[in-house]
Amino acid sequence: MTREELIERLDNVQSLPTIPPIVSRLNEMVQDEDTTAARLGKVIEKDQVLTAKLLKMVNSSFYGFPQRISTINNALVLLGFNVIKTLIVTSSIFEVMQASDIRLFEHSLGCATAAGIIARRRGIKNPEEVSTAGLIHDLGKIVLRAELPKEYDRILATSNERELPVRDVELEIVGMTHSEIGGILATQWNLPDSLVTPVKYHHRPAKCKDHQEITAIIHFSDILVRAVGFGSGGDPWVPPLDHKAWDIIKFGKSDAREILEELDEKLAELANFTGEIDQEQ
Amino acid sequence: MQRIPIKYAAPGMKLEKEAVTPEGQVLCGPDSELTAELIERLKKQGVTVLTVQGRPVVLPGDKSLGTRLKELEHRFSKVNNDPVLKAIKKLIAEFWIVQEKGPEAVASAQKNGGQN
Repeated sequence: MTREELIERLDNVQSLPTIPPIVSRLNEMVQDEDTTAARLGKVIEKDQVLTAKLLKMVNSSFYGFPQRISTINNALVLLGFNVIKTLIVTSSIFEVMQASDIRLFEHSLGCATAAGIIARRRGIKNPEEVSTAGLIHDLGKIVLRAELPKEYDRILATSNERELPVRDVELEIVGMTHSEIGGILATQWNLPDSLVTPVKYHHRPAKCKDHQEITAIIHFSDILVRAVGFGSGGDPWVPPLDHKAWDIIKFGKSDAREILEELDEKLAELANFTGEIDQEQ
Repeated sequence: MQRIPIKYAAPGMKLEKEAVTPEGQVLCGPDSELTAELIERLKKQGVTVLTVQGRPVVLPGDKSLGTRLKELEHRFSKVNNDPVLKAIKKLIAEFWIVQEKGPEAVASAQKNGGQN
């Protein structure tokens, strides 16, 4: 498959659930300056299934709110529209991922957790947005798996046989890496730039011009969650660290110890969230 | 110390860290000994995970420290020339050793040249 063929295919993704019509309605509402969180919340809450899914996500430990969020209105106020919109757009995709590749789901949740921890420590204004970027950073892998299952299997098998990182093999087999694919989709779905950029550049953070800090955090969080071995991104290896990105977020050993401690605690809570332990019993 | 889902909690285990509700309320402090009644009460209050002393439970998918350290080494095998990542690998190994065997175990593991 050539790069051009793949781009055409991505323009017309068939295999994934479509974006709920509610998203365009919400987008229109947000353009209107008079729209309040309460009004947006009312529209979302009409869809009970979506509401339940959203509340489960916003209450999971990677966002780290001490109090339970019980209404969409609250979720909108605490997490912001960008995050809620991204969760609505991607909620059906995460269902696909949870059913087809629980290890990749765990990797994504783990990356979201690490990203939230680092973002909060750095005093970033909306750390939930950074967590959400971590949650969707491997979007391209889910799309590849759903849309081109044969190629995806070949990518994993080749990576395993030749001991090469998945992203190198992706380039060879479909002419593009999952980060580029994820970036194309996220743009198509009108996700905010602060989330598209880290998806697109999480393996090449030095290349991005905007949102460098959030991209550096996602780049490092991906490394960290692979390093501790939570979930799986398709191959076992820790990816190389981009030192320009590291310069933006670097910290010393005692900070690193605190981050590891907090990450370990939150990942233990996540194991409950993914239900893995229940399934294995 | 070990973090366990509350359904693995059993009378006689001792808490390493306080038990906290999802709302952040502390219900009992470190060193509290679990009893059947206490476990029930914690469950009712919504506590899902406990941090207990020692390593009393074998959880599904649990691996021995040796296996975990070996896998850690393998995961870093393509980035061993990076000093920052090397330092992070070392910190993770130390963290796990301390978690399982206590702080004094790190020094002796390093002396033996084990995982580093």
